[in-house]
Amino acid sequence: MTFEQKARVMPWRTLRFNESVCNPYNADFDGDEMNLHVPQTEEARTEALMLMGVQNNLCTPKNGEILVASTQDFLTSSFLITRKDTFYDRAAFSLMCSYMGDGMDHIDLPTPALIKPIELWTGKQLFSVLVRPNAQIRVFLNLTVLEKNYTKDYSMCRNDGFVYFRNSELLSGQLGKATLGNGNKDGVFSVLLRDYNTHAAATCMNRLAKLSARWIGNHGFSIGIDDVQPGYLLNKEKKARIEEGYDDCDELIQSYNKGNLKLLPGYDAAQTLEAEISGVLNKIREKTATVCMEQLHWRNSPLIMSQCGSKGSPINISQMIACVGQQSVGGRRAPNGFIDRSLPHFPRKSKMPTAKGFVANSFYTGLTATEFFFHTMGGREGLVDTAVKTADTGYMARRLMKALEDLSIHYDDTVRSASGGVVQFLYGDDGMDPAKMEGKSGVPLNLERLYLKVKATCPARAQASLSPLEVSKIVNDKLAIHDAAPAGGCSVVFKKSLSDFMDKKMDTKRELQLDEGYTGNANPNIPVKVAANISGITSQQLQVFLDICTSRYDSKRIEAGTAIGAIGAQSIGEPGTQMTLKTFHFAGVASMNVTLGVPRILEIINGAKKISTPIITAPLECENDVKSARIVKGRVEKTTLGDVAKCIKIVMTSRQASIVVTLDMEGIHALHLKISANSVKQSILQHSKIKSMMKHHSIEVLDDRKLRILPSDGDKRKLQFELHSLRATLPNVIVKGIPTVERAVINKEKDGKCNLFVEGTNLQAVMGIPGVDGCKTKSNNIIEVKETLGIEAARKCIISEIQNTMASHGMSIDLRHMMLLADLMTYKGEVLGITRFGIQKMKESVLMLASFEKTAEHLFNASFNGRVDKIEGVSECIIMGIPVQIGTGILKVRQSVKQEVKLNYGLDPIIS
Amino acid sequence: MADDDYNDVDMGYEDEPVEPEIEEGAEEDAEANNNEDIADPVAGEGEEKEEQEPVERPRKTSKFMTKYERARILGTRALQISMNAPVMVELEGETDPLEIAMKELRERKIPFTIRRYLPDGSYEDWGVDELIVEDTWKRQVGGD
Repeated sequence: MTFEQKARVMPWRTLRFNESVCNPYNADFDGDEMNLHVPQTEEARTEALMLMGVQNNLCTPKNGEILVASTQDFLTSSFLITRKDTFYDRAAFSLMCSYMGDGMDHIDLPTPALIKPIELWTGKQLFSVLVRPNAQIRVFLNLTVLEKNYTKDYSMCRNDGFVYFRNSELLSGQLGKATLGNGNKDGVFSVLLRDYNTHAAATCMNRLAKLSARWIGNHGFSIGIDDVQPGYLLNKEKKARIEEGYDDCDELIQSYNKGNLKLLPGYDAAQTLEAEISGVLNKIREKTATVCMEQLHWRNSPLIMSQCGSKGSPINISQMIACVGQQSVGGRRAPNGFIDRSLPHFPRKSKMPTAKGFVANSFYTGLTATEFFFHTMGGREGLVDTAVKTADTGYMARRLMKALEDLSIHYDDTVRSASGGVVQFLYGDDGMDPAKMEGKSGVPLNLERLYLKVKATCPARAQASLSPLEVSKIVNDKLAIHDAAPAGGCSVVFKKSLSDFMDKKMDTKRELQLDEGYTGNANPNIPVKVAANISGITSQQLQVFLDICTSRYDSKRIEAGTAIGAIGAQSIGEPGTQMTLKTFHFAGVASMNVTLGVPRILEIINGAKKISTPIITAPLECENDVKSARIVKGRVEKTTLGDVAKCIKIVMTSRQASIVVTLDMEGIHALHLKISANSVKQSILQHSKIKSMMKHHSIEVLDDRKLRILPSDGDKRKLQFELHSLRATLPNVIVKGIPTVERAVINKEKDGKCNLFVEGTNLQAVMGIPGVDGCKTKSNNIIEVKETLGIEAARKCIISEIQNTMASHGMSIDLRHMMLLADLMTYKGEVLGITRFGIQKMKESVLMLASFEKTAEHLFNASFNGRVDKIEGVSECIIMGIPVQIGTGILKVRQSVKQEVKLNYGLDPIIS
Repeated sequence: MADDDYNDVDMGYEDEPVEPEIEEGAEEDAEANNNEDIADPVAGEGEEKEEQEPVERPRKTSKFMTKYERARILGTRALQISMNAPVMVELEGETDPLEIAMKELRERKIPFTIRRYLPDGSYEDWGVDELIVEDTWKRQVGGD
């Protein structure tokens, strides 16, 4: 199956494939079964082979990361082999070299790293052989990767975490997941794939698979009980940490009981206590975990596995050895299932760590009965969560697919729906294929790496290096030529990034004053040489570099016919399945919960009018001044009369009865609110409830801080009731701020700048508040953005919101997919959700809509109205059994009549 | 099948100089397509597509063969070959129709014309021999 592009069906209905392709198949060996589908025509077979073959799909179009890569044991063995202190003698090294192939490859044995007293080769040399077994293979791999355990100082990193391949020679670094595994753009296989071809990457993967499987079988790698036994020091340390934490918790609980707990902003006492205790308990686990990781022997199997990234994390290890930690249900500590307590083993209202689900034991020492129960509570939540979210994300994926299925790239580079509606004029604003992006965050090329490669593969030798001015001239000329070339130029963004990059490369030269301003020095040659070694580039190198950049940029264009809609729908739908359903998140210090995860994605995609946590981010005009931030906050947040009044009392005199409101001017000034008796009068008059009553009342402003409200002169008997109801409503009158705003929080960024998080709606009002920088104010409420700022702003909002949500779960999706989704949702001029109603407005086809939801309704209405379906889209074509106009169906093939083939029927003449 | 044409590369993604991929001469501008006035009233009507005359103007779609075109052509050709169509190349023992089709494509002997439809219903005809087939397996960078 794997790199042979053939299924290897083994006896007894079993099949076999390379472990590296487990990822794309999402396969494991816990009883997985697979179905074989056999293409029935030559055409189908060809298309399957050309377009679906594993070899042609090593990268995921989700973000261009490599999907087919080494996993598990392969990573472990690479990690062990490339240890700094591993040496092999001639026999062992040759044996390992022969593991790599099937005895068919010619292998050039490298020069041994040590010659005396005996010849010894390092494990790293084995990987040089693996990448380039013999001199005939012209593969020059150049890359640098920072492994997980990288500390600092490049190749002198004490953990040997700086992986550096130079011209297919592994110079430093212990290989692990970042270099060999999936989900990376700069790993060995990605670089081989980009710089050479799929075949180069595939053969390398095969060699590694063979080497690893054979080597680790002999070497042996297993886990035993002694791997998870804590040492004396760890036990002591753990005990001390836990006691320390428990004492802290006791202190907190006591101060809570006494009522002198220092409150966190936006929290009440109980919430503060919970937050503080959780913090302390988490710290216990973290501390014991670090101690545990430090104490482990370097040969410890779980440690090795977690270091190289093949399986397990430091948390898993410390849970086995040191401490399992706090169990949580619904993001809190274990809830009270009994009256005022979680379990009857504890006293009522106990807030102790043990009573609320803190597990101090490790899996090795064993859990106590209550700890075990808490652990099952936490475990159950996880199970329920996975069960529930599959349904939710599954439905989301289906709707996405239905909405996006017929979007494809046409021959004029536009993205259109099947009925010809233009969704994008140029896919993703640059027409690049997300699957082919090399750089981080969807940039076409990783210039840094290419530069490194060019400098390594084309040595400067005796050639002089260019001056910065010459470099920029050559770069600009090249780009101009490329723009004029028929293949079409590069995007502005790319051109800028390229010239910026070259500019930066010349910085060293400038700093040493070796640019044009340079005028003779006492000893000019030394700095020139130094600079040339550091950042010099010869004209040949530069030429090659620019050639690679431009030609490779051209080859990364997206091809006409690509079903980019379907790809986008999958790319957004698939990560959804991996997100934990219920996640709330703290945005900054400001204890402000933002909906994230699947619920948030659903909100965005549904185009929900009412979202659960609307938040407006308002940058301030005076960013650095906390005081002015407070003033603005006061203006945004709603202030009721009750907040600013010293007293609101009913004054009865012998002649008249009235309500007198006295404002607390000191308080008002302290909060920098602009409230006076006059403004309060206006506010009262505008209050809807009072407005109706007020027809007969009158308000008198007595002085700056006092108002008197006189009730109507109507029915004297009702006066008492009237006064009292007025007295009750007055404190709720909003005298300042925006009524729809729940609250506003000042957020201090790391660089000391302030901005305002406003919980609530009414973007327009917030933008209009003096002191708020209206041009930069953002909201996460898409519908509101559309109404306030227009459809383009809504598009931008959709893109950034999806991206934020995905990024907060550590998932990277190419921006172009989100652009496409946002464009589809907005291209009709209003925000359409990916729901039954939205899709109905996007598509015309009856059959497509009928195949989605409300089948009978759509068909009935269509027949009643005599609707016509042109059978253009994917669903309709499938229903009718017609080839779809996407992918290979976008073109027509005709037999050329130019070359007429002369066929001689019948027998060949015997005598001619 | 596919193994074979990779095998000749197997001896190492051969040492080839940087191929100048931009060949002057072909008239094409991918970016400029947007300014093309698609002021065609028949844009919506798909049925008329086939009836339209080929447009007499410089062709403006890409001169590279897309992977979909490649797959389609190879598939169609393989089907023909499997049904006893005369083979346009000298065979060296190949029997698999797809393999033969690939060989034909490599030697640009496939007697097909690709008809590329633009969204307004007009089309461009490109002969298989006119298009540049990008050999992803032959790309080589740098080299000294």
